[in-house]
Amino acid sequence: MSEWGWVAFAYAVTYGSLGVFAGSIAVRIRNTRRSIGETE
Amino acid sequence: MQAQTRNRQWPWVAIGLSLAVAFTLSMVSPADSVQGDLVRIMYVHVPAAWLAYLAFFVTFVGSVGYLTTKDLRWDRIAAASAEIGVYFTGLAIALGMIWAKPTWGVWWTWDARLTLTAIMFFVYLGYLALRRTTDDPVIRAGRSSVLGVLGALQIPLVHFSVVWWRTLHQPPSLVRPDGPAIQDPLMLTALIVGVLAFTIVYGSLMVKRIELIKLDDQKAAIEQSIERPVAGEAVTVPDLGASS
Repeated sequence: MSEWGWVAFAYAVTYGSLGVFAGSIAVRIRNTRRSIGETE
Repeated sequence: MQAQTRNRQWPWVAIGLSLAVAFTLSMVSPADSVQGDLVRIMYVHVPAAWLAYLAFFVTFVGSVGYLTTKDLRWDRIAAASAEIGVYFTGLAIALGMIWAKPTWGVWWTWDARLTLTAIMFFVYLGYLALRRTTDDPVIRAGRSSVLGVLGALQIPLVHFSVVWWRTLHQPPSLVRPDGPAIQDPLMLTALIVGVLAFTIVYGSLMVKRIELIKLDDQKAAIEQSIERPVAGEAVTVPDLGASS
C-alpha cells in the first residue's frame, strides 16, 4: 500500500469511529428523551 | 423550543468545525523528510493519545471529588470521562498499529509504551465493567471511584515509559524539556491545532455524555416511582371460581 493509502486508512478509522461514537451518544440521548416523554 | 434545541446542538457543531480545521491543516502541511506522507498519521495519533491521558485524569479528579464529597455529580463526570477515554485509548492504539506497519514493518511489538498503553486500556474497560455490576448509584460510585484513583497511576507510567526504558517508540513529540521535536512551523501548527481540536471534541462529547447520564438517572427515577404489576401486564390472575 502507498503512503497515502496508509494515511487514508488512518483517517478513515479516526473519523469513522468518531462518527459512530458520537452518533451512538446522540441516538441514546434521543431514545432516552422519548422514553421519559420529553420532547426533542 | 427552537432555542432549546439549538442549545443542545452546539456540541455537535463544535465537533464538526474543529475536526474540519484540523483535517485541512494536516493535509496542507508538508511531508516529512524521513517518513514522507506517513507523518500525517501523527496529527491524529498524538491528539488521540493526549485525549486518553486527559480523559483518565478527569476520571481521577471526578473520583477524588466523589470520595471526598460523596456528591454523585462527581461520579457522573468520572464515568463520562472514562468512557470517552477508553474510546480515545483504543483509537490511539489502532492508529499506532496503522503507523507501525509501514514504518517498523510490524503491526505490534511488545514495546514498553505499547504494552503499558494496552494494559491501561484494559484497566479502564474493567472500570466500565465494574460500573455495571450494581444498579445502586452509591455503591457503584464508591467502587468505581477507588479504581478511578488507582488507574490514574498508569498515566505518568505510560507517558514516561519512552524515557525510562529503551523503547522502539519515539520519545514525546511536544512535551519535552528541550522543546518540541518538530522544527517545521506548519507541521508544528498542524499538530498543535490537532491537539486543540481533539480537546474541543472531548469537551463536547463530555457535555453530551453527562446529559445522557442525567437522562438515564431521570428515567430510573420515573421507573422506580411507577407501581408496576409484579408479573407484568400480560399475565392476569386466574379465576378459580372462589366467588361462585
